[in-house]
Amino acid sequence: MSGSLSEALAAYLGRTWGQPVAIEGLARISGGASRETYRFDAIVGAERRPLIVRRDPPGSLIETDRRCEFMALKSFNGRGVAAPEPLVLELEGAELERPFFIMARVDGGATASPFSPDPYAPHAARLGEDFFGTLGRIAAADTASLPIAEVCEAPALGQCWKRELDYWAGVIDTDELHPQPIVRAAIRWLYRHPPPPAQKLSVVHGDYRSGNFLHDGEGRILAVLDWEMAHLGDPLEDLGWALDPLWRHNETERVAGMVPKAEAIRIWEAASGLKVDPAAFAWWELFASVKGQAIWISSAKEYRDSGFKEPILCFSGWITARRQDEILAAHLTRLAA
Amino acid sequence: MTPNVRDVLQGVAVALATPPSADAGMAYTAARLGMVGSLAMMAAAEADRAARDAALENAEIRALFAEAGAYDADGALAAAAKETDPDLSVPALDASNARLRRLLIGLHEKVETADDAAMNRRIVALYVTMAQIRRMGLGGG
Repeated sequence: MSGSLSEALAAYLGRTWGQPVAIEGLARISGGASRETYRFDAIVGAERRPLIVRRDPPGSLIETDRRCEFMALKSFNGRGVAAPEPLVLELEGAELERPFFIMARVDGGATASPFSPDPYAPHAARLGEDFFGTLGRIAAADTASLPIAEVCEAPALGQCWKRELDYWAGVIDTDELHPQPIVRAAIRWLYRHPPPPAQKLSVVHGDYRSGNFLHDGEGRILAVLDWEMAHLGDPLEDLGWALDPLWRHNETERVAGMVPKAEAIRIWEAASGLKVDPAAFAWWELFASVKGQAIWISSAKEYRDSGFKEPILCFSGWITARRQDEILAAHLTRLAA
Repeated sequence: MTPNVRDVLQGVAVALATPPSADAGMAYTAARLGMVGSLAMMAAAEADRAARDAALENAEIRALFAEAGAYDADGALAAAAKETDPDLSVPALDASNARLRRLLIGLHEKVETADDAAMNRRIVALYVTMAQIRRMGLGGG
């Protein structure tokens, strides 16, 4: 890219929309570590369009399929889930030289760091209704009728668990720099105790957790973010990830810093029309921690391979990985009792 | 462990020496610098404890190997249990730790194959201890 990102965006959007476009207020924003994310306004004639561009970085937390991310947004925007409107997807990069997509920007909301204490009080309970209710509605959607089904493979119900476990165990095989006996033990347990087939095939957001949404500060979600790991699979996968102790904001009673675990499951069941089988869910809870550790192990490798440039990769591969080991060891203790 | 203190501080140096992108904006650049500063602070804490943590973990693993004679046909575990760490530099301790962890993974696989619930609990208890030794005090509850 010979000029600035602003110039490249103006050139691309001007060509795509067939009229001159000016770019104002371009600024990178934190979060969505698998993509470089920028906010900007596109000025088209007298109209100001608030937009987000998400571009592939040279290195990232994990390789993800940008088509699934784009089509997941398309599947839920305007359909009872606060998914931002996706606008254009460029797999070849065009003027921006790396693959990217552009979506409408949702202004006025706040995100929470996964490590900040009690980020949602005093609206945590109300937000929990929206958070787990939204996840239930995602789980309930008929995948065959959604745009994401055009680009994401649909596994057999009995193979959802194995496809995910094979993938993330493979990431650890490839990226592990130091032997990791705790997550290895968890992986072996998961293979020895497969869960029952999925109740239905659902869209799995893939990173649905506290911190990955914008909220209005009064208990309402304005936008569900970071769909880059979206795929089709078992609806319990997202619930297990959302309830992982890593995202509990140092609390023991409430999950995701919002509501007690039993209440979260009740809300999800009511919204999805599905049931949480405790034995199956125990499998998906352990799997969530294995998947997390795979991402953190991959982050550590990427941090080294990319020349130690991105501090978020260091933080994830170091601090978060150690916390995940604690969580995994606690899971294994319960399962060994 | 990865990344180790050397990796973290190397990253801090690279991040500080790299000019911010003109497209990034002040808020992002400031947040990134804040994270770099936090990493430097945590690296300072880690530098104080990295050798101790690795030595402690190695000792805990060796203690378990001394109890695992039933799974030690080739004597590798008994030999490892008798080893010490004469070189207390972090790279040497980490290398020793990697060897011990590989043996531990192999031992646990044998215990699972034998369906030995008592030894399995002993190994899982060691995992809890290992995670506590490395704990850094951030994250969920």
